[in-house]
Amino acid sequence: MPALAGPKPLAQMADGRCRAGAAQHPFKPSLAASKRILTETNRLSIIALGSSSTAGTGASDPDRSYPAVLEAELRRRLPGREIKVTNLGVGGQSAYEMYLRLDNEVIPEKPSLVIWQTAVNDAIRDIGEEKLAKILRKGAHKLQEAGIDLVLMDMPWLQREGRYPKYDDYRAVLAKAAVESGVPIFPRYGMMKSWSGSKQFSQEEIVGMDGLQVVEAGYRCFGIRLADGILAELGEGAGPGKPTN
Amino acid sequence: MLFGKGPREAASPSRDLRIDVIRGLILLVIFVNHMPGNIVSSVMPHNYGFSDAADVFVLLAGVSAAFAYGRLIDQRGLLVGSLKVGARIWTLYIAHLALFVLVCGIVATAVVRTQNALYVEAINIQPFFSDTQAAIVNALGLVYQPFYLDILPLYIVLLALFPLIYVTARTSPLAALLASFAIWQGATHAGLNLPNHPGEGGWFFNPFAWQMLFTLGVVIGRFGLVGASLPKLRLLDVAAVGVLLFAAMVKLSSGNPFGITLLNDWIDSLQIGIDKTNLAWPRVAHLAALTWLALRFVKPNARILSGLAGQRLAALGRHSLEVFCAGIVLAIAGQIILAETSFTLWVQLLVTLGGITILLGLGTFLSWYKTLTARAASAPREQAATA
Repeated sequence: MPALAGPKPLAQMADGRCRAGAAQHPFKPSLAASKRILTETNRLSIIALGSSSTAGTGASDPDRSYPAVLEAELRRRLPGREIKVTNLGVGGQSAYEMYLRLDNEVIPEKPSLVIWQTAVNDAIRDIGEEKLAKILRKGAHKLQEAGIDLVLMDMPWLQREGRYPKYDDYRAVLAKAAVESGVPIFPRYGMMKSWSGSKQFSQEEIVGMDGLQVVEAGYRCFGIRLADGILAELGEGAGPGKPTN
Repeated sequence: MLFGKGPREAASPSRDLRIDVIRGLILLVIFVNHMPGNIVSSVMPHNYGFSDAADVFVLLAGVSAAFAYGRLIDQRGLLVGSLKVGARIWTLYIAHLALFVLVCGIVATAVVRTQNALYVEAINIQPFFSDTQAAIVNALGLVYQPFYLDILPLYIVLLALFPLIYVTARTSPLAALLASFAIWQGATHAGLNLPNHPGEGGWFFNPFAWQMLFTLGVVIGRFGLVGASLPKLRLLDVAAVGVLLFAAMVKLSSGNPFGITLLNDWIDSLQIGIDKTNLAWPRVAHLAALTWLALRFVKPNARILSGLAGQRLAALGRHSLEVFCAGIVLAIAGQIILAETSFTLWVQLLVTLGGITILLGLGTFLSWYKTLTARAASAPREQAATA
């Protein structure tokens, strides 16, 4: 939807491409706790737990990590609400290391929603599929017990996946754990894969060449698509294209 | 006898072959495990027990520090001993920095050539590429530690504490152990750790926790120095075997092997991982059981230690710093080769065997070189400590 009034930041103009393959890779989470807490307290507090692509590795500025984009987008589209997105991404962390952080760093903060981006480091280190499944299930259970919504972020799409022959098996573990625990998945893999085939993104924008796993364009789109899905579920907020004043 | 052959001989500067051989073995295990996903690593000891090579390595570091520097402190005083420790720390520091630069170089080359950015992720070296200046400054201060480059900083800190730990252990082994225990548990509960930048994380090997194993090693080494004998406690033997069997059963089964519902949660938590950073107590219990059995049943003059394999491993163990560093470089190169060849089985075996051969060769070469230079200087047999 085009802007009706006022100039729009350049970045927002390009946000349309983030939604290019949205129909094939839908993100429609159910977020009962967040919905209730937002109604009761006017607050939406999100924790982004993950490794380098949560931390924002490769972005030119911390403001361009996906959690920062998500926060800005939610604030823009939910004026008057108290929005906070905390970035707990640490490069290279395994699912188990993050699981250990749930008790000390995540649950005490009482977020409404946790977005858990994980499993890629476990896949490339081949920690064992059963072990990963157990970690994810236990982590999901822990958050559910604490009354916190959870979204699991899918693993990234890789240019040459053949390097890690079990990569798809680990993705399947993640998907299965999500279904079993009733947790929605944010379809990062599918999104990246469809971008790679489209002309809307350059190769460098998706998979950085110089040590950048997902660079700014990708981060921005994750933030935008997450905001879309979360707002749709919460049933409020300005439409994606409407400008704020 | 705990170590050596009694007070008189233990006081003479002879090495306990067990330390060298086990350490040599551990160095090879570390090398293999630093190439995750390779088939050989799936039969390494961590698959059967709670503790792994790192735990043994740190414990042995304590034992051998007591033998090398503890003896020196006894003979020449605290000042001379501490100076020698300081010199060793400097060597370790330089080795760590050299290793850091080498690893960054290897990964940078690999990423440029293969365009697989995950190599950066695999050893958490992004900060070096995204903010090089800060990363270098932090690396110099040991507060930025990529994966695999976290063991030497730990050892540097532990060695710096050695004179204090040793003097305490000399006065009262029990006091040393209790204090160390209290710090370990206190730090774990208070969330105390040294910083690892960027981010809020701490050292992968939290020194406040890992000093416990080092101190345990120092105390064991101290008993060895004074030639204390090990009591024959059959009950403890049985308990230790029980711990090892329990650990193996838990690690090897997918569910709860005992069928006691009450234990389900605990077994589950043991199977998904046993906190390494803060040294969760099952690791310590497992290592204590291993140590007890090794001390009880592997005699310093056991034939297996002086056989051909034992000799080669001992040569490795005696040059552990050099071999450790070479092992890290080889393992990281190996990781890249394995991924580039899609973990083809024969490449996995070739890389693993090739690396082990190189490391064994390095150990043998260094031993030979040492005798050569020692003979050239016509100096008495050198007894420098190895880390």
